[in-house]
Amino acid sequence: MACLHDHSCEDHDCSSDWSLYKHIDLDKVSALNEATTGSVKSVFKAWEHRLNTSGEHLESNEGDPELIVFIPFTSDVKIKSISIVGGADGTSPSKMRAFINRDGIDFSDAQSMQAVQEWDLAENMQGVLEYQTRYSKFQSVGNITLHFPDNFGGDTTKIHYIGLKGEATQLKRDVVATIVYELMPNPSDHKTRAETGGGFSHVE
Amino acid sequence: MVLEATMICIDNSEWMRNGDYSPSRFQAQADAVNLICGAKTQSNPENTVGVLIMAGKGVRVLVTPTSDLGKILACMHGLEVGGEMNLAAGIQVAQLALKHRQNKKQQQRIIVFAGSPVKHEKKMLEMIGRKLKKNSVALDIVNFGEEDQEKTEKLESLLAAVNNNDTSHIVHVPAGPNALSDVLISTPIFTGDGEGGSGFAAAAAAAAAGGVSGYDFGVDPNLDPELALALRVSMEEERARQEAAAKKAAEDASKQGGEQQAGSQEASSQDATMTERASASTSEAENKTTDLMDDENALLQQALAMSMDEPAVVHDVKDTDMSEASVDDPELALALQLSVADSTKDQASQSEVLADQSAVSDILASLPGVDLNDPSIKDLLASMQNKSEPQQKNDDKSSNEDKK
Repeated sequence: MACLHDHSCEDHDCSSDWSLYKHIDLDKVSALNEATTGSVKSVFKAWEHRLNTSGEHLESNEGDPELIVFIPFTSDVKIKSISIVGGADGTSPSKMRAFINRDGIDFSDAQSMQAVQEWDLAENMQGVLEYQTRYSKFQSVGNITLHFPDNFGGDTTKIHYIGLKGEATQLKRDVVATIVYELMPNPSDHKTRAETGGGFSHVE
Repeated sequence: MVLEATMICIDNSEWMRNGDYSPSRFQAQADAVNLICGAKTQSNPENTVGVLIMAGKGVRVLVTPTSDLGKILACMHGLEVGGEMNLAAGIQVAQLALKHRQNKKQQQRIIVFAGSPVKHEKKMLEMIGRKLKKNSVALDIVNFGEEDQEKTEKLESLLAAVNNNDTSHIVHVPAGPNALSDVLISTPIFTGDGEGGSGFAAAAAAAAAGGVSGYDFGVDPNLDPELALALRVSMEEERARQEAAAKKAAEDASKQGGEQQAGSQEASSQDATMTERASASTSEAENKTTDLMDDENALLQQALAMSMDEPAVVHDVKDTDMSEASVDDPELALALQLSVADSTKDQASQSEVLADQSAVSDILASLPGVDLNDPSIKDLLASMQNKSEPQQKNDDKSSNEDKK
């Protein structure tokens, strides 16, 4: 479902709505079939810069329009809608499929798996189209994978901007951030109460 | 230190029986695989390596990606050569094995050993290459064994299809005196895209290079300046000690068993420096986090060889000393000659020298700390005199026999 903005953007501050990009873990963003490694990070920017096509953008390999973008967040988010600004001359993606909280999806997985939601995209050169999500399914999103299987006939698929509208919940998924590996047990690290001259052990 | 999951595809087809790589193509390949596994697991402890065979009864995964080096080495044991290689299926199975790796954060890499001719079409290989590139799998190709223009072209086109930002490489290894593993050590397959290489790879390369170019003491001064310096200093100290000991031996020349004493002294001191050297080298090795087994073994072997050869070395040193001393002091020279003569057990010359009683007593008088009136020295002189007479008799007898 696409929605047009029914107000002029000068009155309403749109950029605050589209600020979920601040909660994206940019270091861990990755894409499959991108022509330049790391170019996928350039598509997550502020709403004001969505039409800025001069800088870096995400492009797929020649002759292959498929793209997979993996977006992890720093905390669980609720996603209300998604906006995509593609390239000109048929290089905009024509379909989008989303997968939630799945790690390491590649092309064969994406083709065989049932997506959480699918959209047919239109060419969105002005960046005013947004695609609403089935909100109940996008309530606690730790990471989202977007699969663009096809485009409008171009040789490659170009994406200049991916915008996410929603709210961040401040809840973090249970991730063990720092692990200290112990190759050999060090008794000093494992002092029991008895050794430290301790108390009464009691059995309940 | 890239976190990587690697699948190694081994060619165990009939073509691998050929002996143009010593000892056989298959054995050279197995050694290279062992080396690669070691290097990968060393560079990052969380790296995993898996192995599959492409020929035999069919493509078969021997071990799924694991960081346990022992498991990998064990599965390489007892592999049979036979059948025909299926490159396309091998690469596809490797890709599948990598897809199901446990740690999804690892980068995917396939290393292919292509020894036999490639029977697939170029187009098919390119398609496989593109699929690998799409799924960001890097591919390293080792082109060895059969040399075929068509095969090289196909493999180059496969590489071009896979290559994304120079993460994939191809290495052509022709048959020759160098082992397959030695050639591979210096390639990007080991050094990991020119990051500067793992310590293992660098050390192995240095050991190989050191053996070929022959550094002093077999240790590259660039790689390990402290060890090289320590070896050089101890060698010079030993030489100085030996010169001092030789002079001392000349002073003690007349005393019974003096030379033997000096000789054994030198031997024990040399043994001490040998063990010092060996322990220095072992402690250096331990200090390093990487395993320098090759270096250490080479050094220990050298130390042992030197201690075995030490009597010859002692002689050489004495000879040099003599040439130096003869210029200065003819009496000292004579004494030295005496000591050398004794250790080489040259009976004839010894008896001649000893028989010259006057010369001996002169020498003894000139030496400091020796009192001709000392009873022990008198006894010694007497015994030498007695010894020389029967020796002379024996010599006469033997010469008579020879004449006959």
